[in-house]
Amino acid sequence: METYKIKNIAGHLSKGFLANPLTPILAFAILLLGYISLEIMPREEDPQIAVSGGSIIVAIPGATPQEINNVIIKPLERRIREIKGVDNIYGTAMNNFGMVNVQYLIGEDRESSNLKLYDKVMQNMDKLPEGTMPPLVKPFDIDIDIPILTVAFYKNRKDDLDNIKLYKKIRELQQDINALDNVSKTILKGVKRPQFNVLVDLQKLSAYHISLGQVAKSIKSIASNSPEIDTSTSTGTITIFGIKNAIDDVDDLQDLIIAQYYGSPIYLKNIAKVEYNYDIQNFQSVLLTYKEKNASNFIDAGDQITLTVSKLKGTNAVLIAEAAIKELQKNRDALHEQGVGYIVTRNYGERANEAVNELVHHLIITILIIAFILIPFLGWRESLVVTIAVPMILAATLFIALMTDQTINRITLFAFLLSLGLIVDDAIIVIENIHRRMHLPESKGLKFSEIIIQATDEIGPSTNIATIAIMLTMIPMAFVGGMMGQFMKPIPLNVPVALAISLFVAYVFAPYLARKLIKYEEEKP
Amino acid sequence: MKKFENFIHSILKSKAKKTLVVALTAAAFFATLLMFPAKGVLARMLPGKSANTYSIYIDTPTGSSIEQTREVTQCVTDILREESEIVNMELFYGQGIPLDYAGLVKGASMKRTENVAEISINLTDKHSREEPSFLMTHRLRPVINKNCLSVVPGTSIKMIEQPSGPPTLASIVVEVIGEDITKSRNLSVEVANILNKTEGLVDVDIMADDIFEKYKLIPDIEKIARSGLGIEQVNNILYLAFEGMAIATKNSENHSQQIPIFLVLSDDTKRLSSNNQDAIRSKLASLNLMNQRGMMVPLTEIVEIKKVDSTPMIMHKDLKRSINVIAETDLVSQLYPLLDARDKMIEYFSKEYDVEKEDFSTYMFDLHLTNKKTGEKFLLRWDGEMKVSLDTFRDLGGAFISALVLIFFLLVIYYKSFALSGIILIGSFLSLIGVILGHWVADLVTTQTFFLTATSLIGFIALMGISSRNSLLLIDFAMGLINDQDMDKKHAIALASATRAKPIMLTAVAIILGSALLASDPIFGGLGVALISGTVAAVFVSLLFVPVLMDNTKAMDKKEED
Repeated sequence: METYKIKNIAGHLSKGFLANPLTPILAFAILLLGYISLEIMPREEDPQIAVSGGSIIVAIPGATPQEINNVIIKPLERRIREIKGVDNIYGTAMNNFGMVNVQYLIGEDRESSNLKLYDKVMQNMDKLPEGTMPPLVKPFDIDIDIPILTVAFYKNRKDDLDNIKLYKKIRELQQDINALDNVSKTILKGVKRPQFNVLVDLQKLSAYHISLGQVAKSIKSIASNSPEIDTSTSTGTITIFGIKNAIDDVDDLQDLIIAQYYGSPIYLKNIAKVEYNYDIQNFQSVLLTYKEKNASNFIDAGDQITLTVSKLKGTNAVLIAEAAIKELQKNRDALHEQGVGYIVTRNYGERANEAVNELVHHLIITILIIAFILIPFLGWRESLVVTIAVPMILAATLFIALMTDQTINRITLFAFLLSLGLIVDDAIIVIENIHRRMHLPESKGLKFSEIIIQATDEIGPSTNIATIAIMLTMIPMAFVGGMMGQFMKPIPLNVPVALAISLFVAYVFAPYLARKLIKYEEEKP
Repeated sequence: MKKFENFIHSILKSKAKKTLVVALTAAAFFATLLMFPAKGVLARMLPGKSANTYSIYIDTPTGSSIEQTREVTQCVTDILREESEIVNMELFYGQGIPLDYAGLVKGASMKRTENVAEISINLTDKHSREEPSFLMTHRLRPVINKNCLSVVPGTSIKMIEQPSGPPTLASIVVEVIGEDITKSRNLSVEVANILNKTEGLVDVDIMADDIFEKYKLIPDIEKIARSGLGIEQVNNILYLAFEGMAIATKNSENHSQQIPIFLVLSDDTKRLSSNNQDAIRSKLASLNLMNQRGMMVPLTEIVEIKKVDSTPMIMHKDLKRSINVIAETDLVSQLYPLLDARDKMIEYFSKEYDVEKEDFSTYMFDLHLTNKKTGEKFLLRWDGEMKVSLDTFRDLGGAFISALVLIFFLLVIYYKSFALSGIILIGSFLSLIGVILGHWVADLVTTQTFFLTATSLIGFIALMGISSRNSLLLIDFAMGLINDQDMDKKHAIALASATRAKPIMLTAVAIILGSALLASDPIFGGLGVALISGTVAAVFVSLLFVPVLMDNTKAMDKKEED
C-alpha cells in the first residue's frame, strides 16, 4: 500500500512528538511553569491604566479669580497646548491661586509626559507675572496615589489618650510599615499635630492698651533656638556649652512679659490662654463609627487617624497588604494596652486575591463541566485528553503573560474564561477526527499512530486558518483607544496567545495523549 | 446523522426551500435589528457591580462652615445607622476619603474646603449579603435626599459606587461652554433643572462655586499713612486676629516635627454676634493697631466695610470657559435619559435661542445655542460616561470592521475565491441575530435591566471567528469530498454538513458551557450571553444557511485538473 504523505505542519508536529520521550517532560514543565506563574504573578483587582497627567498650581496672594484667569490661567493654558499628547486641559481660577490640570491621552508614557510638563513650565518661568510664588508641578501617579490598604486607628478607651498622643503612636508605626518591601507611600489622614496655642482675649488686649502686633513680636523674639557653642580652654581642651531654649513648655510661654502697664509687668497669661494642644486652625478631621462583631449597635469612636499604604508599580498588592497587616498584628497588644484599637477599612490586596481565586475557581469548574459533557459524545478517554489539554494551554499562556510583565487581574482571567470556549475547540476537532477515523473502513489495517497522524494532518489546514481567523478578530481590539481600550487590553494581549498555543497543544500533545489513553485494537494486515 | 444528511439534501434539491431558508434568515436578521429602535434591548457601556463598599460625597454650598457640613453629615449617618449591613463608616470632614478608583477622576484629592465631607462605608461581605450595593444606594438615595438636603439649603449629596470599568467624572456631564460667565451660570442652572426633571437621573449637581455675600474691608490709604501705619501691617494683623498664624516654631526632641506657636484671638472674643455690617464694625473697633509713635489706632478708623458678592472660581476646559453640570444614572442606561433630557432642552431653549444640532460624530448629542436677540453663542456639550461609551463603541466597531476585513483577506488567500470568503463572512455576521435575541431573552428573565454592553460587543467579535471556523471546516470537508472522491455537489454538501455537525455541536456546547458562568457575572454577563446565544445562532446558520449558499456558488464546483 502507498505511504501517506504528510501535507501540513499539523501532521509534522504530531509525527515529531508522537513517540518522543521528551513530550511528557515538556508537558509537565509547561504545567509546572503555569502553576508557578499563577502563584508569583502580581495580583490586582483592576488592570493598570496608564493615566498620565498633572497639575500646575500657581499662587498670587490677594488676586481675584478674574485676575488669576487673565495673568496665569490663560497664558499657561496656551503654553500647555504646545505639548504633544495632551488630551484635555482644565483651568481653574480661584481666589489667591490658579490651577491647571493637564490630562494626557490615555496610554501616553507617564515618565516622559511628566517630564514634558515640567519642562514646559520651567521654560516659561521668565514670563510669570510679578508677585507670583514659584509654580508647583504635581504629576498624578495612580499606583502611588491609590492606597491599597487603609487602617483606621481609634481610641478604644475613653481615658487619658488625647489626639496628640494617638498621633505620636501612629507616627512610629507608620515608620515601620513604610519600611516594608515595595511600600511606596504612607499617609496619615485626620492627624492633629501638636501646637502651642495662644488664644488672645480681645477685651483684655484693649483694656491693657496692647496691640496684637506687640504680642506677636514678643513671642517671636524669645522663640529662637541657638546652636551649641564650643570654645577652647587655655590648656587646649574643648569646652562645649549650649544655651537652653527660652521656651520649653507652656509655663515658659505663659510667663512671657509682653508690656508694662503703669509700672507692673503684663504677662502673656494675663491677656491670653496658652495651651499645649493640637492645631485648632485645621478644620479637617476624620471620625469613625463601627460595629463590634455580631453586634447591631454602632459605636462612635470619635476622632481617628487613618493610615494609607500605597504600593510600588508592578508589585503584588496581595503580599504587601499581608505584610502590612502582619506588622499591625504584631503591635496589636501593645497598641491595645495603650488604648488604641484599629480596623482595616480597605484592603485591595484581599479583594484582588478573592477576585482572582473566585475566577480561577470558575475556570476549573468550567473545564470539568466541559469534560463531562464530552464523555457521551466522544467517550471518557477522549474527553480526558481534552481535559488535560486545556490546563496546559492556560498554563503556557499564563507563563507568557508573566514573562511580558502582566499582572493577574479580573480582566486577564476574564480573557482566559473567554478563550476557554475557543481553545478547547482545536483539541476537540483533532480528537473528534481521530475518533471518527478510527471507525472508518479505510483505516483498517493501519497502525494506530498512522491513523492519528493522518487524522491530525487532515484537519490541519482548515484548523490553522480558522484559528488564525479568530486570532485576527482579537488583534484589532488592541488598538481601541481611551480608558476602555486600556481597561480591556488583557483580552487582545492574551486571547491570541492562548489560541496560538492551543493549536500547538492540539497538534503536539493531543495526538500524544490520544495514543497513550485511547484504546485501539490494531488489526494485523 | 443520515437523517440530517437527507434533510439538508432535500433542502438543496428544491429551489423553493432554498429561497425559504434565505428569506427566513434575512427576516430574522432584520427583525432583531429592529429591537434597537424599539428599545427591546438597551445599550450601556458597563453595568454596575455589587461591591463591599461605597462612599457618599457631601457638598454644602460654597462658603458654608465646617459646622454646617457636619450637621448635614450627621443627618446622613443617622439614616445609615439603621442599616444592618453596614460594618463601619469613616467620616472625612473637609477632605476626601483616601483616593480610590472612583475618586480619581472626580477630584476627591483636591477637596480642601470647609464645605465638603466624604463618608466611606464598608458593608458586610457581598457573598453573604442579599442586597447588592447598587440596589442599596438606589433604596437609600431618596430617603437621604428627602431628609438631609433641607438641613443646609443648596447642599448636594452624591452616592458614589465603585465603577465596574474605567472611572469617569459622572455618567452624564453637560458642559455649558460660553464666554459670558453670568449667562453660562444661568444656562447651567436651567440645564440642571431639566436634568433633575428627567426620569432615571439622580445626584444632579452644578460644578461651580455658589455666589454668596461677603464683606470687603477697604483700607483707606490716606488715613493709614497719616496715622503712621502700613497697609501690610493692617493686612497682617487682620489675618492674625481672625485666622491666626504660626508666628514661631520650637524644635523638640520628643517630636519628629517642629512645634509651632500659633497666635489667634480666642474663640469667644473673635466670634461675631451676628452676620451683619454693624457686628463687624463693633468687633473691629476693639481691635487696635500700634503706630510708630506708640499710639493705638482702632481698625475701624482706617478701613471701610462694604458688602459684596463673592467672586466664584472660573473654570476652563481646553481653553474655553465651561461649567459642568453632572448627573448620575440610577440603575438605567445613560443613553435614554440623555436623549430624553436633550429633547426637553431643545424644546426649552428654542424659545430664546436658535438651537442647532451637531453633525454625526462622538459629540453628536451636542447642542449649539445662539441667542435670538444678542447673537451670543453657547455650546452644550455632552461628556462623561456617555462620551466614553460612544468612543468605545466606535472603536470596538472599528475593531470589528478591521476584523472582518482581515478575515476576508485571509480567506481569499486560502480559497482564492471571493464568493466562498463572502459566504463565510455573511455566515459569521448572522450570529448577530443570536446575540441580540439572547440579550432580549436575558432581559426578560432577569429582574434588573440586562444591558447590551461593551463586553457583549467583544463577545460578538469573538463569535465572528468561531462561526467562521464552523463554515470553514464545512467548506473544506465538502471540497475534499467533491474533488478527491468525485461526489456530486449537493450530496457532498449534505454529507459534509452531517459529518461536521458533531464537532460543530461539540465545540458549541463547550463554548456555551464555558460562558455559562460568565453570564451570571454582572460585568461579563453581556459577553457570556452574547457567546451563548450567538453560538446557538451560529450553529443553525452554519448547518442550514451556509450549505444553501455553498450550493448556489460556482466556486464549490469540482475543480478542473490542470
